[in-house]
Amino acid sequence: MKELLSLEAVQAALGGFGPVSQLRWNRIQVATGIEKARDAIRSAYEGLSCERLIMMGTADLGTAFQLTYHLTGLHRTVISIRIEIPRENPSVPSVHDLLPPAGIYERQIHDLFGIVFRGHPNLARIILNEDWPLREYPLRKDWKPVKGTFYGGIMEVK
Amino acid sequence: MKANHGGETTLCTHMSLSQRLAAWARLKSPWITIFNSGACNACDIEIIATLTPRYDVERFGILAKGSPRHADILVVTGPVTRKQAPRLRRIYEQMPEPKYVIAMGACGGRGGVFQGLYHVLNSVDDVVPVDVYVAGCPPRPDEIINAVVETLRIAGEDLKHGGREWRTKQQVTPAEPAQAPETGDTAEAGA
Repeated sequence: MKELLSLEAVQAALGGFGPVSQLRWNRIQVATGIEKARDAIRSAYEGLSCERLIMMGTADLGTAFQLTYHLTGLHRTVISIRIEIPRENPSVPSVHDLLPPAGIYERQIHDLFGIVFRGHPNLARIILNEDWPLREYPLRKDWKPVKGTFYGGIMEVK
Repeated sequence: MKANHGGETTLCTHMSLSQRLAAWARLKSPWITIFNSGACNACDIEIIATLTPRYDVERFGILAKGSPRHADILVVTGPVTRKQAPRLRRIYEQMPEPKYVIAMGACGGRGGVFQGLYHVLNSVDDVVPVDVYVAGCPPRPDEIINAVVETLRIAGEDLKHGGREWRTKQQVTPAEPAQAPETGDTAEAGA
C-alpha cells in the first residue's frame, strides 16, 4: 500500500498553479484558474500519478460557478483542482482527452448548469428529457420555471 | 348455464359464450406488468416480495408478465419523470382492453417527496388514468395484493355496467353565477 501524498509533495508538483491547502487528512485542494486547469490536471496525472477521476462537482455560488475536479490514484489522496467560472458566458476547456470519464460529467454539467466545455466532441443532452426547452438550466440558483412553458412530458390535457 | 352470482346473470344476457369465458378468466387470473416510472426501487422491491414465495400471489392466479401486451393491470411505481412520461403513455397504449392501472406509493399519488420538482409530473394520473392508488412509502406486499383485489372488484363492476364510463365524473355545466351582493363586501375586498 502506497503512502498518502504529503502537502509538501503536492505543493512541489502543483504549487505553480495556485494556492494549495489541505482540507482533510486525505484531501488536498488546489485553487487555480480556468486556463490553467488542464495543465494542473496533466501535472497531477503525470507527476502525482492521479490517474483516476472520482467526480466533477459543480456549485452555483451566486456570483460564479465553482467547478472541482476530484482526482485520486493508488496513493488514495484526493487532489481537488478547483476553478471558478464567471456566470456570463461560462466556458471551460474540456479534459475528456486527458480523463475519458470526464466527458460524461461534462455533458451532465452542460445540461444542468449551461457551462460550455470547449473541445468536447459531443456536448449533447444526457440527463434532462429530450423535449426540455433550450437555454433553461435547472440547477442554476436563479432559475425559475417560466409559467406557460412546456418542460416536457405529456403535452395535451387529458 | 346458470350463473352463480348476481353480476354474471346480467352478463349472460348480452355476451357470447367466448366473451363470458374471457371475462371469467380475466377476473380469476389477472396478469400484471410493472413499470418503473422513476421510483427509488423500494416499491419494486416490495413488488418482488409480493411475487416471491413469502406472499406468493400466483396462488391467487396473479401472474407477473414481462410484456405489457399480455397484461391486464399496469402497476406504476414512483413519480413520473418528464423523461418517462411519454414512455409510460406508450406502454399503456400497448395494453389490450380492458386495462387497469395501479399507482403505487406516495410518489405515484401526488409526487411524494419529489412533488413540485422541475423534472417530475404531479401524478401518474396526469399521464394515464389511474384506477387504484396504494398509499405507503413503500406499500407493504399485502397492501399491493389488496390493491389488485380491489382492481378486480372494479373490473367486475365495469363488466356489470358494460364499460368504465359509469365511474367517470359527471360533467356538470356550471349554473349561472349568482348575482354578487351589492353591499359593503366590495369595499372590504378592495382594502
